[in-house]
Amino acid sequence: MRFDSPAADRVTALVLFALGAAMSYGGFTMDRLEIRQIHPASIPGLVPMLLGATLMVCAALLALGARGAARPARPSDGGAPGDGPSLANLAFTALWSGVYALALVGTLPFWAATALYVLVFAGWFLIPAAGGGARLRTALLLALFAGGMAVGISALFRFGFLVRLP
Amino acid sequence: MIDGLASMGSALLAFMTPMGIFHVAWATLLGILVGSLPGLTATMGVALLTTLTYTLERDSAILVLICMYVGAIYGGSRSAILLNIPGTPASAATSLDGFPLAQRGEAGYAMALATAGSALGTVVGILLLVVLAPLLAEVALNFGSFEFFWLAVFGIVISGQLTGGVSPLRGYIAGLLGLSVAMIGSEGLHAHVRFTLGVPELNGGIGLIPAMVGAFGFAEVLTVMWRGKPRLVGADLREDRTLPRLADLWRYKFTIGRSGVIGTIVGIIPGVGEDIGAWASYAVAKRISPERDQFGKGSKEGLTAAETGNSAVVPGALIPALTLAVPGSAPAAVLIAALFIHGVRPGPMIMLEQPDFIYSVAAMLLLATAAILIYGLSLTRAFIQVLRIPRELLMPVVFVLCVIGPYALTQRVFDIWVMVAFGLIGFVLRQMNYPMAPLVLGIILGDLLDKNLRRGLTLSDGSLEPFFTRPVSALFAAVIAASILLGLAPVRRGLARLAGIAGGRA
Repeated sequence: MRFDSPAADRVTALVLFALGAAMSYGGFTMDRLEIRQIHPASIPGLVPMLLGATLMVCAALLALGARGAARPARPSDGGAPGDGPSLANLAFTALWSGVYALALVGTLPFWAATALYVLVFAGWFLIPAAGGGARLRTALLLALFAGGMAVGISALFRFGFLVRLP
Repeated sequence: MIDGLASMGSALLAFMTPMGIFHVAWATLLGILVGSLPGLTATMGVALLTTLTYTLERDSAILVLICMYVGAIYGGSRSAILLNIPGTPASAATSLDGFPLAQRGEAGYAMALATAGSALGTVVGILLLVVLAPLLAEVALNFGSFEFFWLAVFGIVISGQLTGGVSPLRGYIAGLLGLSVAMIGSEGLHAHVRFTLGVPELNGGIGLIPAMVGAFGFAEVLTVMWRGKPRLVGADLREDRTLPRLADLWRYKFTIGRSGVIGTIVGIIPGVGEDIGAWASYAVAKRISPERDQFGKGSKEGLTAAETGNSAVVPGALIPALTLAVPGSAPAAVLIAALFIHGVRPGPMIMLEQPDFIYSVAAMLLLATAAILIYGLSLTRAFIQVLRIPRELLMPVVFVLCVIGPYALTQRVFDIWVMVAFGLIGFVLRQMNYPMAPLVLGIILGDLLDKNLRRGLTLSDGSLEPFFTRPVSALFAAVIAASILLGLAPVRRGLARLAGIAGGRA
């Protein structure tokens, strides 16, 4: 399923409708603060109710608009000369970046987590692309780059901006 | 106006210290580099740099951010011309004529024209900023809750309409999602906590900086690594001219002036941004130009119009940002957050509380313009080397900054999670052609809309009448209704049919 296909629009419409319904329900059942004797028109749930309802209407319109035939594929990013999109690259980038941000940072010292992240990220793409004999040299250069970046960024925030690093 | 220009002159002199010039030099250069690299946008640059300016004093911090903004919007033209990939969305129209010029071996001259157009466009915008911002602030002083509510709705609707592309519905949905995000946390009237799902870190709401860094930073990293690797074209400039001919600039003087005004006006419209400014200027130039058949095939006039238009949006976008606290573009939204961080309260009271601040901002923009002119004309060849930096080395460093930047503001790991969540959501929405500008605008305007609707209803004792009967409110309501109606395909088809019938009778 492509991101910009009618099928994707139908799924999105469903998600948005559920979100709108949840917001409306949340707004409707929200505390009306009667005990504080506020004006009934200023209850905290008013705007969420309205937004939820509007989102449901938009979701319905999106679903109606997605009834047509599949749209033709978009030209690749303005027709720039180059390689096509790569799902493997996307999956690796999302996963490894997620692991770094949500697991490594806070578990390892920040500089170590950063050096490891940059090294693995760059190495994943650049080491296999280097020729057989150049792989070790590329890996060493990348390790140097990753270490330098990690120490540089950590020092900038720790000593330049006095941030207690995670 | 003379007083305004005098105030701008004094502000300019105040910034001409060695430290001021140093800040202009490094921040503009960094901005151009950020803008040049596909995948690094002006919004991301300003958001990341905001996290690096916490310790700077107010004027230096704002100067640095404005130089980044101006530099990045200008820098986008480099990759648009050489790679046919706009470095920032603002330069999409630039690539239409810039890339064919590069293919013809005139890349250097195309970049020189882009530099001159950007500089002149920003100057036109600065003049209009100095004239219009105080007037708008004065008008806005008379705004009450009813008008501010409609202003927030107007921002979302117009931004959704103009950035949603073929279907304004996607723009509206993006705006609604932004408003929904703004509903999380403690609300502004009774301090009641909403939609936190028991997570105490959400009591203060979703931070704008983590959300923006995620939506524009992490999402861009994913997009860049997903897309294919671009190839550099026309990068050999040894025999090409890298200074614009004065005769060419004089020939396009009306195009430059007109595009500057169009860009500034587009900038004033909430949440629309530089890309629409460039497209609008380009479209008008194409309609009027005697060489319109050359547009899209390497027209120097088309390139100049697009670059003048997108750069003029920068000062234009700051007009509502400073006087109404409503951003004219996504980078201006981050600037508003930065202004609050540094103790400046944008809004109608700015001319009363800090009357010289608007002129200081105009002076900052002028210094940034001088810097892009100097860098653009002297470092054309050097910038090409920047485009050769492998994305595999650049993107992990960008992501590290995306992680540590939002964390540095509050020192909460929770903000890193927010950044990651917004990055993933932003990536998916962008691939589905949902514009990001209304989403950002929604997050910014959510509080304004919520508080002013309920405050207005309290003042009118629950009656909706003042929302439609006060003159400015009525005007806002009419414009909003008209733009929503015109966004509906059946209405547009009906109007086209009517126009056809009227044309046939004539």
